[in-house]
Amino acid sequence: MDAFIAGMAILTDPYMVGIILAGTVVGVVVGALPGLSGSTTAALLLPITITMTPVAGIAFLGAIYCAANFGGSITAILINTPGDPSASATAYDGYPMARNGEAGRALGISTIASAIGGIFSVFVLIVAAPLLAKAAYSFGPPEYFALAIFGLSMLAAVGASAGIRNLIMGAFGVLLATVGLDLMTGVERFTFGVAELSEGLELVPVLTGLFAISELLVQAGRLQIVPERMGLTAMRLPSMADYRKCAKAIGLSSVLGTFIGILPALGATTAALISYNETKRWSKYKDEFGKGSIEGVAGPEAANNAAVGGSMVPTLALGIPGSATTAIILAGLIVQGVRPGPHLFNEQPTLLYAVFASMLAANLIYIVLGLFGAKLFARITLIPDAILWPGVLIFAIIGAYGPNQSLVDVWVMLGFGVIGYVMRRYGFSPAPLVMGLVLGKLVEETLKQSLLIFDQNWLLFFTRPIVLTLFVVTMLGLCAPWLARAIRGGAKSARPPADAR
Amino acid sequence: MSTYPKIMRTASRLGLGAAVALLLAGGAGAQEKFPSKPIEVVTHAGVGGGTDLTARMMMVQAPAALGAEFVVANKTGGSGSASLGYANSRPKDGYTIMLITQTHLLTLLQGKAGAVQPGDLIGLARATEDPQVLMVGAKSPYKTAQDFIEASKTKPMKYGTTQLGSVDHLAVAGFATKAGLAKPVVVPFRGGGDIVVNLVGGNLDAALLNYAEAESQIKAGEVRPLLVFAPTKMDSLPQTPTATEIGIPAVYSTTRGFAVLKGTPEDRIKVLEDGLIKAMQGKLFQDYLKSSGQSGGSVVGRAAWQAQIDEFFSTGKEALASLGITK
Repeated sequence: MDAFIAGMAILTDPYMVGIILAGTVVGVVVGALPGLSGSTTAALLLPITITMTPVAGIAFLGAIYCAANFGGSITAILINTPGDPSASATAYDGYPMARNGEAGRALGISTIASAIGGIFSVFVLIVAAPLLAKAAYSFGPPEYFALAIFGLSMLAAVGASAGIRNLIMGAFGVLLATVGLDLMTGVERFTFGVAELSEGLELVPVLTGLFAISELLVQAGRLQIVPERMGLTAMRLPSMADYRKCAKAIGLSSVLGTFIGILPALGATTAALISYNETKRWSKYKDEFGKGSIEGVAGPEAANNAAVGGSMVPTLALGIPGSATTAIILAGLIVQGVRPGPHLFNEQPTLLYAVFASMLAANLIYIVLGLFGAKLFARITLIPDAILWPGVLIFAIIGAYGPNQSLVDVWVMLGFGVIGYVMRRYGFSPAPLVMGLVLGKLVEETLKQSLLIFDQNWLLFFTRPIVLTLFVVTMLGLCAPWLARAIRGGAKSARPPADAR
Repeated sequence: MSTYPKIMRTASRLGLGAAVALLLAGGAGAQEKFPSKPIEVVTHAGVGGGTDLTARMMMVQAPAALGAEFVVANKTGGSGSASLGYANSRPKDGYTIMLITQTHLLTLLQGKAGAVQPGDLIGLARATEDPQVLMVGAKSPYKTAQDFIEASKTKPMKYGTTQLGSVDHLAVAGFATKAGLAKPVVVPFRGGGDIVVNLVGGNLDAALLNYAEAESQIKAGEVRPLLVFAPTKMDSLPQTPTATEIGIPAVYSTTRGFAVLKGTPEDRIKVLEDGLIKAMQGKLFQDYLKSSGQSGGSVVGRAAWQAQIDEFFSTGKEALASLGITK
């Protein structure tokens, strides 16, 4: 409890409040900018956090993560271009609302729904993470193996593109995970004599390349188009009738989003897409969807912010990233010398509660920013590409070079920029590749560790209750489509048209 | 005298033509003041790792002792070979020093460091000497080192180690040989933290760890230290016997120290040695040693440190060969 109060006390420190405010503003801005997502920005700004204290650095990254998911909805609603991939579902109904002259109402409900979803998930995080951490001593290599297999089984649903493409990218990520010194044999694989590669591909340059550089190349191939922007006269707080109509959507999506966030690999984008489907399925006004349904905005917005708190649960408690952005936050923690995992809860509870407090604060700050500044943030899209993208390139190079002071990492980043560009041209989403890279290494190492512990008898996997449970859940997840079809008797799926972003 | 061309090369590379002119005007007898620009400390550890931390702790008081600024260059990769390669690419003028661990020495022994050979290392001063401690989980049936050794003679124990051919792997193998134990099963992990969790969780029988790696678990009674591989008892573990006390002549530790490569002028080596020792005798570094359970005697000068490096090279070669890692 002392740690809880000490953690919350950071909110009385002007420096910390300044950091959280800065993170939130940066988050909303990059969230609103099409092309720059929360995860890209977290990767780009990671080197800056090294100069901060651990609490400030993580609070900064956490605030960006929270706010970017809200910021994405501003451009999704006003110019039909999701500023952040997680807002792609918001555009389905947000833009039609704006066309109907209801831009203010759409942004109002998006702000409130985002905040409710975000705050709900932080409370789940505060309760669930320590519980999970307590169980962490029963998490040995066999349990991590089962968890990673579960994560890999989710890969098909990670990105916004079609399942089979996601699987191909995920498998490519698993292949890339084999680069470097093999922990079990001490043999170098696919390093081609480059000493810097013996630790494997660094996550941050790969992410920066896949997300930032590839976007830069995509943008370079386009003419500067000033998108048609919907007029926004005034921000409107949702009316009581709106709340009543959206209560179910927000409640359902907050729970769903948090849960999807907790699952390894799946993050805000998946949470928003699934919640959109579910909101529609459970709505009384199904025929409004796609034409400007306020529920269709509230649902995905609550869900993508709820996924933030959810994906921090496994990140902090087990050291397994719950999404691409938390993978970067994890890298940030390690750079700060903070080892995520169960020890964190015993050794540095104050740091954890400070992270929770800063996430709560970020969720409250963007309500204010959203309600009073949405008009301003919408103007961000007017920044000329000729200024924006060269700036991104500079940050990307510094970000890749910084942590290890290695030019190899810069080349890795540029290489993955080209790979990412080609992938996206052919409709592949980079997110599953990242999760494949993270989980692939885990699967391989924990399998070999487990077999050593089990004296090479793989049947012993089935003697561990947590492993067994996770295997069963994985099987259920894989069979879910068939099960659902059997139950619903072939009812038509409510999946919206896939966005290839 | 022989250092002149080198100085000129370095200076012109930096575009300091004026400085060269000044130096020449000063006459051939004038000695350039060393150090007169920032000194780079090359480590193989990423920012925030234990070795990186050691470098940064030393750097706090070094500027006062040496009269120069210090910067850390983190050249990760290849178990130290990237950092050795980088140091070798710099002029051997004393402005590039390395913080090395046994990892570098093992890499050199395996011939994986490119142009750098084992004989090229010149020790400046040792910084840390962190003894390895044999630990078991609280639920382990073995209460004392004798219990554990007795049981290990027939049962192959599972040890958690970091990487194959790492310092703790060599120590596990050496301990087993010296105590006459059944061949241990080695389970490699990414870091000491993972090993501690698996000790507590009962997935491993034992591990050789540094005190600081398991400090909070030892205090919470979740991990039991059985045996210290140090010449004398550790201040932080006054109850735990040393291996020598129970009749096994085994001493293993995680050692970090500063070094330069051959070719660095002798007078500068002396300046660096004195300055580093002075910095590390300072309160801040000594407090850092104490907080990680090490004694202030970890800091020693060039002679003792070089002797330890040479000793490690001669024993390490056999140990690697016996593990089948080198031919």
